[in-house]
Amino acid sequence: MTTMETLNEIFRTVFDDAALQIKPEFTADDVAGWDSLSHINLILAVEARFKLRFNQKELLTLKNIGDLHRTIEEKLKTGK
Amino acid sequence: MTETLIENGQYNIGHICTGLQCARGLAGRTALRWLPSHGPKRDYTFGDLDLESGRFANVLASLGLVSGDIFFTFLPKMPEQFIAVLGALKARVVCGTLFTNFGEEALLDRLADSGAKAILTRRVFLPKLARIRARLPALKYVLAVDGGAAEGALDLAALMAAAPAEFKVPVTPRNTPSLLHYTSGSTGRPKGVLHCHGSVEGQAATAREILGLKPDDIYWCTADQGWVTGTSYGIIGPWSLGVTQVHYGGGYSAPRWAEILAAEKITVWYSAPTAFRMLMREDPVLFSDIKTSPLRHIFSVGEPLNPEVIAWARRAMGRDIHDTWFQTETGAIMISNRPGLEIRPGSMGKPVPDVTAAVLGKDGRELPPGTHGSLCLRPGWPGMFTAYLNNEAAYKDKFVNGWYHTSDTARKDADGYFWFDGRSDDVINTAGHLISPFEVESALLELPEVAESGVIGAPDELLFEKVVAFVHLHQGFTPSPELELKLRLHVSNKASTIATPQAIVFCEGLPKNKSGKIMRRVLKARYTGAAAGDLSTMEEEA
Repeated sequence: MTTMETLNEIFRTVFDDAALQIKPEFTADDVAGWDSLSHINLILAVEARFKLRFNQKELLTLKNIGDLHRTIEEKLKTGK
Repeated sequence: MTETLIENGQYNIGHICTGLQCARGLAGRTALRWLPSHGPKRDYTFGDLDLESGRFANVLASLGLVSGDIFFTFLPKMPEQFIAVLGALKARVVCGTLFTNFGEEALLDRLADSGAKAILTRRVFLPKLARIRARLPALKYVLAVDGGAAEGALDLAALMAAAPAEFKVPVTPRNTPSLLHYTSGSTGRPKGVLHCHGSVEGQAATAREILGLKPDDIYWCTADQGWVTGTSYGIIGPWSLGVTQVHYGGGYSAPRWAEILAAEKITVWYSAPTAFRMLMREDPVLFSDIKTSPLRHIFSVGEPLNPEVIAWARRAMGRDIHDTWFQTETGAIMISNRPGLEIRPGSMGKPVPDVTAAVLGKDGRELPPGTHGSLCLRPGWPGMFTAYLNNEAAYKDKFVNGWYHTSDTARKDADGYFWFDGRSDDVINTAGHLISPFEVESALLELPEVAESGVIGAPDELLFEKVVAFVHLHQGFTPSPELELKLRLHVSNKASTIATPQAIVFCEGLPKNKSGKIMRRVLKARYTGAAAGDLSTMEEEA
């Protein structure tokens, strides 16, 4: 399973939508229920699933799902 | 603006906000400037709103909905939301508005209790509704704004295309039921707060006299329509006065909000303390244009407004923020630091005209200035709720010896300003949303790992209060980050995202009184480090 596919699974769980198909250009305005509180759930779920930790700076630079995907890939590659 | 609101006994809110404005020569004035999160803005005139809401009233009639039937919207902020609410009201169908962050249990509670016959939503929410549909025998129709025929929903666009725009609004007496908002209590399921069309008098009067709306204003209320502020002051108050409203379809974004305030030349802005506190963290340069913009007044509602926020607004925007206080039950602003009144930062302000407020002691007598007690109102203000749906006993309980008890506690100073203390019950106010600890505890108990839970509100710098869950696990289960996430997601998807615990404390047993009731005040004291008070009724902890 690719990182994007795993990320899609996480989004489906967090936003309770089994049919959700995410795209890199999606922002919070494109996913029903993606508000500031569910965003915390999303980040916690990503950290748990990929066994990584985001720092504050990384979180602040995330503008869309593509950014989130890229950041995960980089962290998986570098192990940081 | 000072023209008579009620003509020939016609209190119908849908008519007053559209047809009446057209009859007064405002058919061509922009009623709604719609700013989507992506794409170009679109203006709807009062004439457009009149026709589209008339068409929607005909859609409901064609489905067999009649006066007194209950219909819900389950939509984000979007033009169809406003058209549907106004159309339902024109048809004298009672209209409820639901937050889109509600989970399936929250939806089930509200749709089942009300016996709703129809709901309008988006396709993305259809699976959530499908999971509870079998338990909603009264729900005949699910309509979707974006198709949904394949999922068994009725396509709103097709229904609207087939419906005539002209709808003869029946004369609607003052006491005709209009809007339904559910509100949380500390025990039991949420209660349906029913308002009547006569509430428009209170909403129009306060929009004019407290918000200070004038004919040429451009007004922006950021509240979601699921909230009473979103209907009372995001629909009814301004449109009943013929005022142009801006509505934005995106979420919180400081740069975008600053841009809207400046570019749309907003003159009156109504928002919430949590939003202001988030804006306070941003670079003040963002708001420098506002100092020279036509913005005349800023108002706040939902939680107490900290003095620091008022000081920030004066520095960053050169404007005061005026606090307003009201409840779902009151339907309109009751107490306010309104323009023209000296602001006492941190206070709620003074009662608005025609409202009598008092701080009462346990014996029901008014307390002297400076004494903390129960905040009460004299019933009879325009806009007052008329019932808790299907719960007459709870409604009667709110009225004691000629006073409406708000369940808020406060004090009044010697000059008549009111100062908010908190709640007299366990209801949690997080970012202006009232959360029932019972609802969160019920959701947690559905999980096999959870033996019992106690949920409290704890002070929070941003949200005013945050939801904190104490969780006692069954034997064989141990706390872990994965389990914590599972609990959070479960509450989020069953109750609502806003009810999601911001902190979860795993513990061995919960403090209970001798009747077995969880003592939330002891949990709160444990979390905040405050004194727990009288523990004489507490059972020994496990």
